[in-house]
Amino acid sequence: MSAEEEAILFLPRHPVLIEEATAVSMTNYFRRYWQLYALLVLPLSYFIIFKYGPMYGIQIAFKDFNFFQGINGSEWIGFEAFKEVFGMRDFYITLRNTLMLNFLDLLVSFPAPLILAIMLYEMKMVWFKKLSQTILYIPHFISWVIIGGIVYQVFGTQSGMINNIITSIGFDAVPFLTDKNDWLITYLLVGVWQSAGWGTIIYLAALTGINKELFEAAGIDGAGRLKRIWHITLPGLKPTIVVLLIINLGHMISIGFERPYVIGNLAVREYADVLSTFVYRTGIQSGQYTLATVVGLFQAVVGLVFVLGANYASKKLTDESIL
Amino acid sequence: MTRNMKRKRFIGSKTSMLVLAVAGSLLFTACSSKSSPDAAEGTNGGGAAAKPVTLKVEVFDRGNSPAGSTITDNYWTKWVNENFGTQSNIDVEYVPVPRSEEVEKLNVLMASGSNVPDIVFTYDPNTFNRYAKQGGLTDLGSLLDEYGPNLKAFLGDDVLNYGKFEGTQFAIPAKRSNTGKYASFIRQDWLDKLGMPVPQTTDELYNTLVAFKEKDPGQIGGQVIPLGMTIASAQYEPLLWSFVKTMTEEQKFTLTQQLGSNDYPILLPGFKDGLQFMNKLYNEGLMNKDFGLDKDKKKLTEDISNGKIGFFTEDDVNIYYENGTYALLQKNVPGSEIAAVDVFTNEEGKHAKPKYASNGLYIMIPKSSERAIEAIKYLDWMASGDNLFQLQNGVENENYTLVEDIPVAAENPTVEATNRMFNSGDMAIISNGKQLGSLEKNLKARAFQMPKAFQEQVAVAQDIANTDTIDLILLDRPIEAQTKYATTLLDKFNEIIVKTTMAKPDQFDSIYESMLKDYMSSGGQAILDERTALYKEMKSK
Repeated sequence: MSAEEEAILFLPRHPVLIEEATAVSMTNYFRRYWQLYALLVLPLSYFIIFKYGPMYGIQIAFKDFNFFQGINGSEWIGFEAFKEVFGMRDFYITLRNTLMLNFLDLLVSFPAPLILAIMLYEMKMVWFKKLSQTILYIPHFISWVIIGGIVYQVFGTQSGMINNIITSIGFDAVPFLTDKNDWLITYLLVGVWQSAGWGTIIYLAALTGINKELFEAAGIDGAGRLKRIWHITLPGLKPTIVVLLIINLGHMISIGFERPYVIGNLAVREYADVLSTFVYRTGIQSGQYTLATVVGLFQAVVGLVFVLGANYASKKLTDESIL
Repeated sequence: MTRNMKRKRFIGSKTSMLVLAVAGSLLFTACSSKSSPDAAEGTNGGGAAAKPVTLKVEVFDRGNSPAGSTITDNYWTKWVNENFGTQSNIDVEYVPVPRSEEVEKLNVLMASGSNVPDIVFTYDPNTFNRYAKQGGLTDLGSLLDEYGPNLKAFLGDDVLNYGKFEGTQFAIPAKRSNTGKYASFIRQDWLDKLGMPVPQTTDELYNTLVAFKEKDPGQIGGQVIPLGMTIASAQYEPLLWSFVKTMTEEQKFTLTQQLGSNDYPILLPGFKDGLQFMNKLYNEGLMNKDFGLDKDKKKLTEDISNGKIGFFTEDDVNIYYENGTYALLQKNVPGSEIAAVDVFTNEEGKHAKPKYASNGLYIMIPKSSERAIEAIKYLDWMASGDNLFQLQNGVENENYTLVEDIPVAAENPTVEATNRMFNSGDMAIISNGKQLGSLEKNLKARAFQMPKAFQEQVAVAQDIANTDTIDLILLDRPIEAQTKYATTLLDKFNEIIVKTTMAKPDQFDSIYESMLKDYMSSGGQAILDERTALYKEMKSK
């Protein structure tokens, strides 16, 4: 194969080819490009096996699932399980907490990587920039279980590092982990610490796409650093911000298991008990898979509504959307 | 032209999807054709008489295998196959399940149907009830009569009754060698320094705790923790149960709530007083502030061995292990001394405290198993002769020496001998603890396992654990609401303890009331109703 032919392979379909398209050229087309499609087999089968395949099990939500009869052998019960879940007080509390923690997280954790990224971008000393980036990434790779241990050591009321300092200068200890409102702040800040650094990557990538000449031109016109950030950097990041916001909104109703489970404790269960821990408790631990599936299905449906809603709103307001 | 192009592309993608679907289905068939020979082999193996059949047995994996062995291939698995396996033409295979997630993993195994071992087990009675109710277990009654005479004799009717579900023997409960649970411990050297006697009652204990806080006999600055508390049962149970008042038989039966394998006192008269006492201790600074975060006793153990804690309750022998909590304390604080004591007193003046049920694990054979007979044979073999003794104690003169018929851990055993015993307890599934024929001997053997210096104290602690124990309530049939709500309610129970203890004294009542209401509406009331109905049914018979 010559270099030219190879180049053609990776070009989109040539207009001339389409002009002459017939059934025969379709086969030709495939003979020529089959390798590209073959490359898709693996990712597609991933989605079929791990994302679409399990949807078969959703029917458990409408069945009185019996371990030993399997999915097919279990009896249909219609919306019985939904009635049970929607009648549970714990369900509403965990739903409220999930939305509350996610909303506050969006407020606090969403802007953090953006601000960090802009700060890193403005940094002129290359070695210092690289060093701080590395340090900022590290928390992302630490398991939540370990972070939980660190949090306990640092924020504990009686023996935590911070409270040791507070009490040694004569103030009362702050119950960072055992008072629900203080805990909320701890939870949010730990989240920022863990994820903000990693979140900068996507913004930094987007920032490299902004034309440098714009900054120079603005500089000549007398724009200061803040003005440049406001009028060039932020507008340049807008599409990225919107896409990330839509994705985040889609996750509003689902929440990771580890973070609330590990950082939470019995004293603050009022706020720390979320849908994922609720599912773990009623589904996995108590073996009531039907109820767990109901909650999972509910989350999926509401999540879809959120994504579509956010996407629609963003299309109307900013003309940016992902669908 | 552009429209045409779009159309063409669409057709192209449709065809490509078809190709992909075909490719995908090929992939699937490839997978399934690979697994079918295995299955065929399995059935063939069962048919041929000369070929040994395979018996699959669950085993807890604690991730502590020494170098050179694995949890499925080690001294004891070889020993079982050499002794039991060859003689009965059975190939015993072990299926590891991580100890920390036994119920979750077992649920998955059971639901998978085909991969489930022939012998499975759990500590959780609710899981056993659920399996039995859904019809997933083999009825073992006649099998036991036919193939398990030794096993039946070893366990006895009392223990076997725990394995019945609505009258049918669906599980073989393991036998516990000792049902004692808790003892209290106090820093004797602190008492000596203050010239105070060992407290004998709850009131005296309160005064002692106050003295510990104010006089700081350990001279550790502001860090003294008079009472070491956690949110694990070994710390709160002895305290709370000692506040439970005398009850009628009916109250005992109907008001107790069994969540998991323990009885819980939440509705019993006096429980609130116990919480109130904890609240008082907390607000007066006599208890550690972060006790609600300490589920696994890690912080408590650390604080004990650093010499910060004056008094605590714990499983009777837990602090005495080699290089354990007590040994560490003596290293960190020279001259420190812990005494095993019995302090919390109920209104009758007794040191009432919970104990274990006389059964341990629930051993079950799934209905899908084709090796039920072999499974019973295996368990029966374990119960016969000195097989269990060997399994629990190892090799004479290498692992132990006999003193008055009681095995005593050999001093300075070889590495090989020590390594051999890493899974011995998890292999001997028919028993919890060493079985030597009588409680007295069992307790002695247990003490002899401990470091020499502590053996006397261990004996005292074990006696305390077996004093004034509160019997568990036996139920004729499982309470469905308990099976269903136990996990949720247990979390709420712990939450009630934490929140009411940490409440400001003037808010105690309102927090207690609102949390109890939530507990009742989340399943507590359902359990109460069902137990009341069952009690009436029993009485009317």
